[in-house]
Amino acid sequence: MPIIETDHLRKVFRSIKREPGLGGAVAALFSREYEEKVAVEDVSFSLEPGEIVGYIGPNGAGKSTTIKMLTGILVPTSGSIRVAGLVPHERRQQNAENIGVVFGQRSQLYWDLPLRESFELLRSIYDIPRARYEENLRTFSDMLDLERFMGTPVRQLSLGERMRGDFAGAMLHDPKIVFLDEPTIGLDVIAKEAIREFICEVNRERGTTVILTTHDLADVERLASRIILIDTGTVIYDGPLERLREEYGTHRTLVITLFEPEADLQVDGAVVESQEGNVVRLRFDRRVTSAEVLVRRVMDRYRITDLAIAEPEIESIVRRLYLEGYRSSSPAAPA
Amino acid sequence: MIATRRRFRFDPYVQFMKKSMAREATYRFNIFTSLGSFAVRVYLLRTVWVALYAHNAAPRGLSLGAIVTYSTVALLLGLVLDIDQTRALHDRLHDGSIATDFMKPINVPLFFFADGTGEVLFHALLMVPALAIALLFVHITVPPAGVLAAFALSFLLGYFVGFFLNFILNLTAFWTLEISAIQLITTWLTDFLGGQIVPLVLFPVALQGAVYALPFAAMFSTPLLIYIGVIPPARYLESMAVQAAWVIVLAAISTVMWRAGSRRIVVQGG
Repeated sequence: MPIIETDHLRKVFRSIKREPGLGGAVAALFSREYEEKVAVEDVSFSLEPGEIVGYIGPNGAGKSTTIKMLTGILVPTSGSIRVAGLVPHERRQQNAENIGVVFGQRSQLYWDLPLRESFELLRSIYDIPRARYEENLRTFSDMLDLERFMGTPVRQLSLGERMRGDFAGAMLHDPKIVFLDEPTIGLDVIAKEAIREFICEVNRERGTTVILTTHDLADVERLASRIILIDTGTVIYDGPLERLREEYGTHRTLVITLFEPEADLQVDGAVVESQEGNVVRLRFDRRVTSAEVLVRRVMDRYRITDLAIAEPEIESIVRRLYLEGYRSSSPAAPA
Repeated sequence: MIATRRRFRFDPYVQFMKKSMAREATYRFNIFTSLGSFAVRVYLLRTVWVALYAHNAAPRGLSLGAIVTYSTVALLLGLVLDIDQTRALHDRLHDGSIATDFMKPINVPLFFFADGTGEVLFHALLMVPALAIALLFVHITVPPAGVLAAFALSFLLGYFVGFFLNFILNLTAFWTLEISAIQLITTWLTDFLGGQIVPLVLFPVALQGAVYALPFAAMFSTPLLIYIGVIPPARYLESMAVQAAWVIVLAAISTVMWRAGSRRIVVQGG
């Protein structure tokens, strides 16, 4: 039985129409004209318990609006939602007990209180049995190395420490579902890895369902087995990461820096995408030509000072999807 | 799956209150400045009244002793009544963190009430050292126990008037986000029209009807006039009924505003 189900979810924001400038602002005070903005057009998906899903899309695609509806703080314009059997906006508080939320940009902890007291407050809010609380706190403290700054007020923690605190705080009451919004934003590589490891472990050990919203696709690649791609309020892809990779990850870009300028550079099995000074971008179909073969061909013919594969594969796929939209079983583009 | 209703628990709100008290206690500089400015104001007001009374025999039947007692007790009440206790609502609307409050299994307005109450209780404790300081400069008349009890009850009602006025003020942040100008005006109105600085009985007779009709008088003036005996026991019931009526009216306005404001969040996304 799915733990989260949304069916033709739609959210339209209505605001007073406003002309630009000061005059417009004054006129808006008396205006009765509204304009509508569709944040979520049509979103349907269903999640099984224990899944980790990457919910991704460009800025303004409707990700946060969906999450806010799932947490019960936004009422959908139409469509239906069920989260662990509840309609979130009808049972906001009860729904809140089933979920945990972590925002990379905003702390859930109490700013003036030491971390330990913030946790104590959460224990009271969620009515966590004392023994369970102590056990969870010990486990998370070990996993996230919290002991060192348990007595520090949250406002004085570094971003990495605060995020670790936030994660522990969101998991103390054993939520069935956690919503993670940009959980690794601004963190260094080590802190990022610690957080990812924590998410993996919590999911594995406790069967927690995870919805991960992020622009860092490395998070998704590392954690999620399934992704839901949303653009302009509509789901454009929902399925395993591998399928996207097979269908869209056919082409990659090799970036080379030449030792000396080359007017008419040509390499078998690749197309010159762009050439700026000595930097040349070569696009190739990895099913026809492997990166290794291509590099060898380039080096046989030219002297180069540097080379790199343009970006992580998943990023180029998603970028293409944002730009072109998804067409199921798309034919491989000719090389 | 059958969803059962949640059982209401007081504990989280008691915890919010305690944490907020503890938080206030950490702002030591704030405590000293607050006591310091209290002492200065007690001294200045006494000086002003003494100088005025040297040229004027007791206006409207208020003796110098009564008026000094009045203004000192008014300043003591101000330690509690002047607190911007639901400021957290405005702050959290301003920086958007109100959304995270709604994601917790709590009654959000009750959370702000508990948070403000903790702050108020801490400042109420400050009234003790403040009183001790005041007694260095001024003599305060203490009325009989019955009057004191009526004063305490009236002060409590005044406190709730103040709470809801403050809550309404901070609730406007749902629509305007920026409230510092309204706040300035409100502080001035409560202190002046509430009779904290000058007793309302000294206002021009033509104005008195108007100022007594405002909720500010229910905050400061009523308990203070009970204390110095201008409101006699025969009028206690009537005076406190007016205060209670204000509590009900302002609570109703707050409720309507809270519903409309939080609806803006759930419908418009803040």
